Amino acid sequence: MTISRQVWLGLIAFLAASISLPSIGSGQWLSILTSTSCFVIAITGVAFLYARLGMVSLGQVALMGVGGWVMLRMNHAYLLPFELNLMVAVVVTMVFGWILALPALRMRGLYLALITLMAAGGLEVIFATFRFPNGGEGFWGVMPSVAAPFRRPEIAQSDSAYLRYLITFVALGFAIIRLHLSSAPGRAWAMIRRSEAAALASGVNVTYYKAWGFGLSGALAGLAGAFLAGSLGLLDASTFRASESILLFALAVVGGVRYWYGVVIAALLLRVLPALFNNWSLDPDLALIIFGAALMHSIITAPQGIAGQLNDLLAKLRGKHD
Amino acid sequence: MKRFLPLLWLVLAALAVFILVAGKTPFRISGLFLVSGLAVGALYSLGGIGLVVLYRATGVLNLANGAIGALGVMVAWQLGHWGVAPSLTWLAALVLATMVSLIFGRLIAPGLAHRDPVVKTVATLGYALVVLGITAFIWEDDVRKFSLPTDQMAAIILDLRFTVTRMIVIGTAIFIVIVIWLYLDRTRVGLQMRSLANDRQLAALIGIRIVRVETIAWGISGVIAGFTGLMFGDLVRLEPFVITFMVIPSIAAAICGKLESLVGVLVGGFTMGIIESLLTLSPTLKSIRPVAPFVIAAIALFLMQGGRPLVFARD
Amino acid sequence: MIELSNLSMHFGGVVALDNVSVKFTAPVSGIIGPNGAGKTTTINVISGFLPCSGSIQYMEEEIGQLPAYKRSRWGLRRSFQKEQIADDLTVLDNLKVILDTQPRSTIKTGLSADHALEATGLQDKRFTMAAQLNNYERRMVDIARCLIASPKIIMFDEPGGGLSSSETHALGELISVVHSLTGANTLLIDHDVDLISQVCQETLVLDFGKRIAFGPTRNILSDPKVRSAYLGIEEVDG
Repeated sequence: MTISRQVWLGLIAFLAASISLPSIGSGQWLSILTSTSCFVIAITGVAFLYARLGMVSLGQVALMGVGGWVMLRMNHAYLLPFELNLMVAVVVTMVFGWILALPALRMRGLYLALITLMAAGGLEVIFATFRFPNGGEGFWGVMPSVAAPFRRPEIAQSDSAYLRYLITFVALGFAIIRLHLSSAPGRAWAMIRRSEAAALASGVNVTYYKAWGFGLSGALAGLAGAFLAGSLGLLDASTFRASESILLFALAVVGGVRYWYGVVIAALLLRVLPALFNNWSLDPDLALIIFGAALMHSIITAPQGIAGQLNDLLAKLRGKHD
Repeated sequence: MKRFLPLLWLVLAALAVFILVAGKTPFRISGLFLVSGLAVGALYSLGGIGLVVLYRATGVLNLANGAIGALGVMVAWQLGHWGVAPSLTWLAALVLATMVSLIFGRLIAPGLAHRDPVVKTVATLGYALVVLGITAFIWEDDVRKFSLPTDQMAAIILDLRFTVTRMIVIGTAIFIVIVIWLYLDRTRVGLQMRSLANDRQLAALIGIRIVRVETIAWGISGVIAGFTGLMFGDLVRLEPFVITFMVIPSIAAAICGKLESLVGVLVGGFTMGIIESLLTLSPTLKSIRPVAPFVIAAIALFLMQGGRPLVFARD
Repeated sequence: MIELSNLSMHFGGVVALDNVSVKFTAPVSGIIGPNGAGKTTTINVISGFLPCSGSIQYMEEEIGQLPAYKRSRWGLRRSFQKEQIADDLTVLDNLKVILDTQPRSTIKTGLSADHALEATGLQDKRFTMAAQLNNYERRMVDIARCLIASPKIIMFDEPGGGLSSSETHALGELISVVHSLTGANTLLIDHDVDLISQVCQETLVLDFGKRIAFGPTRNILSDPKVRSAYLGIEEVDG
């Protein structure tokens, strides 16, 4: 599918989603869709980084945790509006990601994967030990009893309004990346992915553009985590375990890292499938086996993931039409 | 000698932590933590060694080693639960771990032979999920304990009490480094493994049977993973998820060795274990002590920056 | 004029470049030598990918201290033994990668992307995805990238790899007009002696990292010392 067709499809999907999805009555499914949308934003960050730069980030969910943490802390510490807290969360997460990744950016790609994996492990411990702010005192802001309230955006107080607000940001996230890809950074990234030597020989400051890419990916993680905090009002350390970061990357690959619908598929697999398994009384560990096998299959034989295979199917059908 | 400078700072760091944190505590007590730290550190080193040996021979950083070890120790526990003799349960664990490692090495890895190391590593991630999923599926979430008869036996060295299990672990880590070093240096297969690491295509051209050498590497890696799993189950916790993700501090130890120097991995792992354990004595830092290995690895990575960025690194 | 002075470089124990000094003044200069002689190492050093001792000067301007990516902005261009174009991008976008990094002045004074594509015969493929090009076209994109925005030094590393003899001849014709199109000095590494003699006015011969000979191409190719070192022909006495 050409790029402009993808963009049109995206616009239509966005309109359809923002009209229909928030109107789904049931509270449980509304909350699942909201958290899925948050993960769409996070997975977008990981997907473009891998697809366009060949960089692997195995700590995206951990960075979501950082974004969520900052969001909650800002919310409880000051009386600033949601949007301002959001911006702070995004910037802090981006800078945090840079600090973690900077040494690895100048080395072989493998080291970035390893260091983000270690960050995921380290942050898992920190979240479990210090927990998430809920209105308490001190730096960590945790108090033993019931949490203080969370202030949502003025225009999006109810759950369905919040979802619509969130979906707009999802579209914004995709748009920002598409903008990057069609201009200088995207071209530099494509050259870096082909060969760092050729990129240097073309005048591209490789470290700078890799940092830019990783920063964008971190910013999206921060955005996702902040929205998750706003949706639930309180965050739990078990959401941000190292295994979740690994699964997120695995499913991004399975879904298809080059296309926005691949990212959506990945988010659905990550969020909705376990819920379905629960409903059907299936062991959640089976999901691990399926996802792991799917990842190996994708990596070895179907590099464009499910989205890519859908593309091929569509092309074949269209071929039959003509 | 210059190569060993970064290792020196690691040792100095461990010493500094010891003095700062345990300075006021009587050696009788701080010694206990030192011992347990040495043992856990040995495990990190072993995990790292398994990773590095395989990486050097095949270019694959097998993130599934933890999961493989976890499956092995769960099987060992189950057999022990059914009354099988301990030595047989250990053997079963090691054999199973080796087989699971070889399955990936012979059936799945060849499909990735010409891809870059990042892709190969991501594939092992998939395998880790599968193996972990199978393990977690078979054994319901429960509190279990894996113990070896050597847990009860102990010896006193330098006024410190070492359980035999811990001595085995520490000794094995050092022993394996020596054995592998000799193997790579003195045997023909070892030499072939080193030339494979150097240039795979060239190695094939001069007639080295790549598949055979790689199989041996996967086998060795599997045995080490199995042993490490058994020991993690005994000394840390018998829980599939926990043991699977012990691959992360093993990676940290591997990084201290720059993914190639076994001595570096050994020193890195030991100091990580010691520092992590000693931090228990510090009231302020004790809650974040599990983060110690990662911080150390991050600093190690940062210090590795020294040279120019490798533009033509074939990886 | 490109001047290399006392260029030395070693990988661990191996001396890759041994005190190489040469002054290239012709529009197109060749670098030849047996495998492992240090030809690619030389241009990698000029590119800034490898550290070395000695100096690299263009028209008396020292560029050896610039980091690699800044050398391109300064005006250094090159192609690699294996073509390096981004499959994800169109032909035009592959050129834009370089234009994005260039200061306005060089873009104004230099060859435009369209002109470069015309010179290499790719004007109709402007918006084609690089992944769909054949080998010859890919090589041409590499060359087009070297022509835009006022290059000062252009280096080609075995640009004829995988090309048929007629394609190689066309390549040679193109390289010959590079100087009139862009004013740049070109260095050409190749094993194809016909291409070298067709295109290069002067040639440097390297062996074991040392400069063996340098001078007008015709003289170099008939020099018995060169023939024995490079072409493996016995040195004839007398």
